[in-house]
Formats: sequence, C-alpha cells, structure tokens
Amino acid sequence: MSPSFKSIKVGDAPAPLVCGPLTRTQFVRYAGASHDFNPNHHDEVYAQASGNKAVFGMGMLAGGFCARLLTDWLGDGSLRQLRIRFQSRFWPGDVLTCTARVTAKRESDAGALVDCEFSAVNQTGEVIIRGDATAAVPP
Amino acid sequence: MDLNATGKTFPPYEFHVERGKIREFADAIGDPNPIYRDPAYAETTPSRGIMAPPTLLRTFLYEPKAAAEALQVKDWSYIVHGEQEFEYFAPVRAGDVLTAQDRIVSVSEKESRRAGKLQIAVIETLFHNQNGEKVQVARRTLVETGKRISE
Repeated sequence: MSPSFKSIKVGDAPAPLVCGPLTRTQFVRYAGASHDFNPNHHDEVYAQASGNKAVFGMGMLAGGFCARLLTDWLGDGSLRQLRIRFQSRFWPGDVLTCTARVTAKRESDAGALVDCEFSAVNQTGEVIIRGDATAAVPP
Repeated sequence: MDLNATGKTFPPYEFHVERGKIREFADAIGDPNPIYRDPAYAETTPSRGIMAPPTLLRTFLYEPKAAAEALQVKDWSYIVHGEQEFEYFAPVRAGDVLTAQDRIVSVSEKESRRAGKLQIAVIETLFHNQNGEKVQVARRTLVETGKRISE
C-alpha cells in the first residue's frame, strides 16, 4: 500500500533495496534488454584494453534498481519526474544498496506531490548513482 | 563536440512498446512486479494494462544515431553519460506505438579541475503515443572529457 500525502513525512524512507552480488551475466542480460551495447559492459577484453579492471555495470541498470525502490514505495505510475546522476562505476561482485527519502511535500495543480532523493552505494559506501524524483500520491 | 548543434531537431521515429520487451526489461533489472508481466493483474490497476517501467524508454534511444552524430564527437571513448532525466505525463502501456523526436537542447563548455575542459551536451527526446498524447520526455546529458577520468 503506497503512502498518502497526509501520512507521508519529510525524512520518511522505504526499506533499502539490496542488489547483488552482481554478475557479468546480469550486465549482459541488461545489455540485451536495454540495447546498451557499449562493449565496456560486456566485453572483458575490450574493457581491460580500455584501462578498466573488468567490465563494469551500466549506470542505467543501477537506475533501474532505484526506480524499482521508488515504485515499490510510492506506487506504480506515481512518478512524475526522475533524474539520475552517474557518479562512479560498479563491478562484478559489487553489492548495491538503494535508499531514498522524502525531501519535501507540496500541493500543486498536478495534485499532491512528494519530492525525494535517492542513491545507490556499493559495499564500501561509495556512491554509484544519486538522483531525485517527484511522485504524485493519493491525498 | 559541435557547439553550434544547439537547437537542432531531428526527424521523428516510431517504435512499438511490446509486452515481451517490458517483461524482458523488468527481468533484467530484477523487478518482479506483476504490473510488468501479468495482464489480468495489470487490468485491475489504474494503468488498466501492462505498463512500462520508469526507465524503459531510454532503451529505444541507443539505435537512432542522428542526434548523437550531429554532436560531431571525435572519440566516443571520451564520452560519459553524466545524467539521465525523465518526466512522466501519462502511462506508457504494452501495445503503445510511440513517436519520438530528438532535439539538442544545449552544447556548452566548462572547466573541471578533475577532468580538464568539459563539453556538455543535453539531448531531449519527446515521446507521444498513438493518440497524440504527450507521455514522456527523456533528457540525457553527455559529457566529453578533455582527458580520461582515472579511477
């Protein structure tokens, strides 16, 4: 059950979503599903020749994890805006923890809106992506 | 990048939002939500059918090359995807036929202590559905670094 405008408070946060340990197979699966065929994400030989220790995950894959956290929390179809900033790379074996929190609530012509910030961090606490989102919630 | 590319628009292109693609994408991001795969369940929700996950439409933007080519990037290995934004106006559902049009919003330059001179391009894609309804806007920010960013 997604929260109502009345019940939700600034600072509220959903239970974190933990993804991983991530595998090369997941990167390849996302490449096929998303059409992101940058070889740095699936071709270890190419990625290493380009100076990377291994293939690395797509920022939009981490973005997909965080979008799921938000829709599970605030409701399917609730998002009005989503912005993802790519901060750092992530690698096979990494575990990403996605968190979010309410930063503001406001009423507008578009209805009752909740602003949030979110991030995905790896097992050492390094920020992989961060972003902000706006969702419409029931009154 | 070509700093004069700002404001250029490109011919619209059409694509189908297939049910199988939605499921495949939801599987790839590990999202088990039945609204992406179970038509009977999805029919009972406000979207009245299987809907696209929030980040799906980015996947239709790798193929069309016109906007990216207009940036006249010399070496794509120096380009990073800095930011991706979506605005949502109406649900995108399985079976929709979307028309997308790309526009280069801006190409600008900036100094960065970490990475030298940066060139930053923002490409916006406007999506309409088969009923002429504006459903989404996607904006991607591409950054060309003067040197490779080390770890």
